Amino acid sequence: MAVFGRGRTAAAQTGANAPVEGAPPLRANRVTKSYLKGSVIALDDVSFDVHANQVTAMIGPSGCGKTTMLRLMAGLEYPSRGDVTMFGQPIMGPGPERGMVFQAYTSFPWLTTRSNIEYGLKLQGLAKAERRERAEHFLDLVHLEGFANAYPAELSGGMKQRVSIARTLAQNPALLLLDEPFGALDAQVTWEMEEMIIEIIERENKTVVVVTHDIQEAIYLADRIIFYTRQPGRIKADLPMEFKEGRRFHKKEEMLVHPGYVDMERRLYAMMREEIRGRVS
Amino acid sequence: MAQGQAGGTPPSDAASHPGDEAPAPVFKPPRQPFLEVLGALTQRRTVVLGVAGVIIFFAVWEVAHYVTPEEKQRFLPAVEQVVAEIAYLFAEKNFIADVGTSLYRIYASFFVASLIAVPLGVFMGCFVKARALISPTTGGWRYLPAASFAPLLLVWFGPTDFAKMALLFLGCFFFLVALILDNTLAVQRELIESGLTMGAKRRQVVGITFRAAAPAILDSMRNMIAVAWTYLVIAEIIVATDGIGAVMMRAARFLHVDIMMGGILTIGVLGVLTDISFRIASRVLFPYLRVRR
Ligand SMILES: Nc1ncnc2c1ncn2[C@@H]1O[C@H](COP(=O)(O)OP(=O)(O)O)[C@@H](O)[C@H]1O
Ligand SMILES: [Mg+2]
Repeated sequence: MAVFGRGRTAAAQTGANAPVEGAPPLRANRVTKSYLKGSVIALDDVSFDVHANQVTAMIGPSGCGKTTMLRLMAGLEYPSRGDVTMFGQPIMGPGPERGMVFQAYTSFPWLTTRSNIEYGLKLQGLAKAERRERAEHFLDLVHLEGFANAYPAELSGGMKQRVSIARTLAQNPALLLLDEPFGALDAQVTWEMEEMIIEIIERENKTVVVVTHDIQEAIYLADRIIFYTRQPGRIKADLPMEFKEGRRFHKKEEMLVHPGYVDMERRLYAMMREEIRGRVS
Repeated sequence: MAQGQAGGTPPSDAASHPGDEAPAPVFKPPRQPFLEVLGALTQRRTVVLGVAGVIIFFAVWEVAHYVTPEEKQRFLPAVEQVVAEIAYLFAEKNFIADVGTSLYRIYASFFVASLIAVPLGVFMGCFVKARALISPTTGGWRYLPAASFAPLLLVWFGPTDFAKMALLFLGCFFFLVALILDNTLAVQRELIESGLTMGAKRRQVVGITFRAAAPAILDSMRNMIAVAWTYLVIAEIIVATDGIGAVMMRAARFLHVDIMMGGILTIGVLGVLTDISFRIASRVLFPYLRVRR
């Protein structure tokens, strides 16, 4: 709970600043993040831009700093050097304009599905009727119409993650940050959820950054993949998914037979193998 | 039908005419020993076993009474003698007033202790600096034995209700704070972080933390109020004016073992009832913890 270490909640500050014209939704500018008095360098001088309305996937071997980068974007941590900016403004703390879905189930156990979705809207001061309406829309979007009044304890893992996704989308964030959102789910639920995410991205037209350790998932979801090396965390490769030619696959199996996909998967496996060579995980 | 097992008729055949086929024989799992590993119990059998345990306890007591030599039996009265003594105390000695006084002391002081300990524990759990400032002091207090404050409290406040309740307060407050701090720190970090990314401010974060820790906090309170009974008796024995402890202390002077044991038994029953009340409160307050389907 050291999140409060920085004193004043900075969310208000970020919201107040005007966006800089032409600045990217997110920019990592020479970001270094070290832990334990510099003995662990999670990220080492990393720079890149996240492009608007794209899905950017970050992958790499375990411990390469993917989560760290996402948390910096969320404002849950701060860089040791460099900065992360959103539309040109440095990120000074978490805020509703950057919605985040965690790997762990984070829906509030004491609230029903609907109340969970309405929670963020209440914080934003929306009137009750409007909250209802928005919640209804996002319940439909994640296919949880029948579970509006269920508590998280009554939902499966996949459903709980749907609640988290719906709740995050409902706050209408400019950026959607996903940290291994399906990491705790089994394979079949995972691809159902991946296809749902594609459907949602198409409909809601979001800028998304997703962290995953699953190569296939990264290729399926992403318009661009950033591959990290480990210790120190640096960008090894920045790969646009050109084979998709600007479209997204609504069914995963359509992608699996695409020669471009097979190529990309082989490349990423080779990179992963290079990274983990000589290391015991 | 019989050749189904003997001749190996394709099972698909049987499946297509389910009406013709007798149901598969009931499977008899192996008999489980009493000390069954990973077993599950019906609600009813749980209650039966619990009651059996209580009966065994009283039976052992009863046997112990009857094997005691005749001339010493008054130091270990039989169960029925103690129960009769309790009935007598209620009927003739206005014992209900003493029980009421004791209950008032314990609930009032525990209520006040909780009223301060819960917000303080949650506050420290939410804010690192507050924790660093306060926790070493409140934590240290746990090592000052509350009972040793009894003489001091007597000097300060005299043989008053306040002195007794202050002792009760000292006995549970600092442990309560430590337990609630732990409950608060155990709240899943991502729960709070997801709140922050939804736009929660400091006030809402405290709310999330409290709501998330509340079931565990109530559990801590349930465990702590059991300890509070100890200090109640200490307080009432040292300053024996009224209350269950005082009744027992007076009985001790005349070697009325049955009254002393009656007092202990009464406290035991009240303690169990308190425990049950807390469990019921938990069910009522946190219905979302139990899966309905
Ligand atoms: N709070 C922390 N304290 C110390 N080390 C940390 C902390 N968070 C992350 N690290 C270290 O930073 C590195 C990157 O972590 P992380 O971003 O979680 O990796 P990934 O998500 O890619 O698996 C790891 O070596 C990890 O041990
Ligand atoms: Mg990670």
